[in-house]
Amino acid sequence: MSVELSFKDLVSEFDYEKEMNRWKHVYQLLNEPEPKIGHTPRTEVWRKNKSVLWHYPAKQTKYRIPLFFVYSLFNKPYILDIAPKASVIEGLTNRGYDVYLLDWGTPGHEDKKIGLDTYIQKYLKTAVKRALRHSDAEEITLVGYCLGGTIASVYASIAEEPIKNLIVATVPIDFSSFAGPEKWAEGLKNGDFNVNRLVDVYGNIPASYVEAMFRAVSAPIYFSHYTTLLNRAHDQRYVDKWRRMNKWSTDQVSFAGEAFRQLSNDFFKENKLVKGELIVGDKNANLKNIKANMLVVSSSNDNLVLESQSLPIMDLVSSEDKTYKLVDAGHVSLALTGLLAVVVDEWASTRSNPL
Amino acid sequence: MSTKRPNDRYDSFKKYSELWEKQINDFIYLWSNNNEFVKMSNDGSEAHSRTLEIFRKNQEALASVLNIPTKNDLANLASLTIQTEEKIESLEEQIWNLQDSVKSQSKEIESVVEVAKEIIKLTKQLKTELMKTKKEQADSKDVQRELQEMKLELTKLNNFKDEFEILKNLIEKGKQVEPALAGVDSAK
Repeated sequence: MSVELSFKDLVSEFDYEKEMNRWKHVYQLLNEPEPKIGHTPRTEVWRKNKSVLWHYPAKQTKYRIPLFFVYSLFNKPYILDIAPKASVIEGLTNRGYDVYLLDWGTPGHEDKKIGLDTYIQKYLKTAVKRALRHSDAEEITLVGYCLGGTIASVYASIAEEPIKNLIVATVPIDFSSFAGPEKWAEGLKNGDFNVNRLVDVYGNIPASYVEAMFRAVSAPIYFSHYTTLLNRAHDQRYVDKWRRMNKWSTDQVSFAGEAFRQLSNDFFKENKLVKGELIVGDKNANLKNIKANMLVVSSSNDNLVLESQSLPIMDLVSSEDKTYKLVDAGHVSLALTGLLAVVVDEWASTRSNPL
Repeated sequence: MSTKRPNDRYDSFKKYSELWEKQINDFIYLWSNNNEFVKMSNDGSEAHSRTLEIFRKNQEALASVLNIPTKNDLANLASLTIQTEEKIESLEEQIWNLQDSVKSQSKEIESVVEVAKEIIKLTKQLKTELMKTKKEQADSKDVQRELQEMKLELTKLNNFKDEFEILKNLIEKGKQVEPALAGVDSAK
């Protein structure tokens, strides 16, 4: 059957109101200042150098064991509390959890010698101790996101503090696989590309370099988000969401030089964490030391951290209670949509000593 | 009526942009995914680092001559502040430990006080019982003395009884003698 298409079918009818809204929003977006990110009510528990430990009290406490979030060193952690109703932290406080978040802060030139071991031993360990003291809890649940998951796992393998549950989401553990071009990975591993001199000369890796690195790995040319915005600019809710997301994704932080060197050499090049050869301070950070209950969450549409990078942790830890969950989300949308709160609550509610 | 959705120009633009973006990125991927590109990037990075190193060295030298602080000087100063912060933190943790030990000692002292209270209570009870016992002892001594007295009196009574018996015997003997004497007188 042949279908005849009229000119009317090919061109959409002009909706005056919709177009007015679209271009009004585009104009606002171009001229108005960046959106302010509101926070779920919180108090500062501890501060060291640029790092801050925040406490988000539960609306009505239902669990004895609080959640402690460890976010990546590459980005700012406000993605976990980006907007009301879509906030992971708000979702969890509404569900009755006391939440702690360690904000690493932005390293300055004086922090260039801070390595991952310093971050773990002097910052994360102390922050967990403070959270335990502040909450008066006997145990704690660690929740690590992205590189924060890697850091949380390394810490959990050497921790003396009582960690009952360990949750890691979109976590890179096995660095033998890589989301970017394989020859780049090969070049980094065999020393054809070396970051040491760059780290020495810069001290810290500038935020713009960090952003460029992620862009290079995922999509060097990236403009489709603007056309998607133009397509849906008539929808105020989408525009608000887009603006917050855009603010966060361009709001990168610089990376402490020594930590970047360790990440590049010990993790990426030599894959020491999987081999059980990673040394933190004077301790061997072997994942088999982890006996805490474990939940690993991967996103099916993640183009930065592949499932094959997260999955090996399931076989490396000694935990008897361990769960792997693959969710239909992207690397960022898992946190951006607040879905992580649902996933965490489903698993942690029975393991957090309900009152 | 046609069921086909009217063509949205923005939607089409979006789809085309995604397609172009993907094609360009695929091209870049193919173009850069080789050892030569990696080596060239490394050379570029080394050259960039070298230039920056020279620049920084000159900057430090110039700043030294001009007697003005550089970013490194400020960083060193900031490091001292961080060290001080760490020392304060360590002191705070020590105070915590002391507080904890004081708390546990207070608990121990409280339990000792509780035990002491029990001991005092028990001692008081014992004292009261001792008083009672002493009183009872005193009473029993009185009873004993009275018993002694009674015993003595009983002994006296017994003696009296014996004497009485002797007297009785004597009286009876006397009675027997008197009729005999009367018989003698009448025979005369």
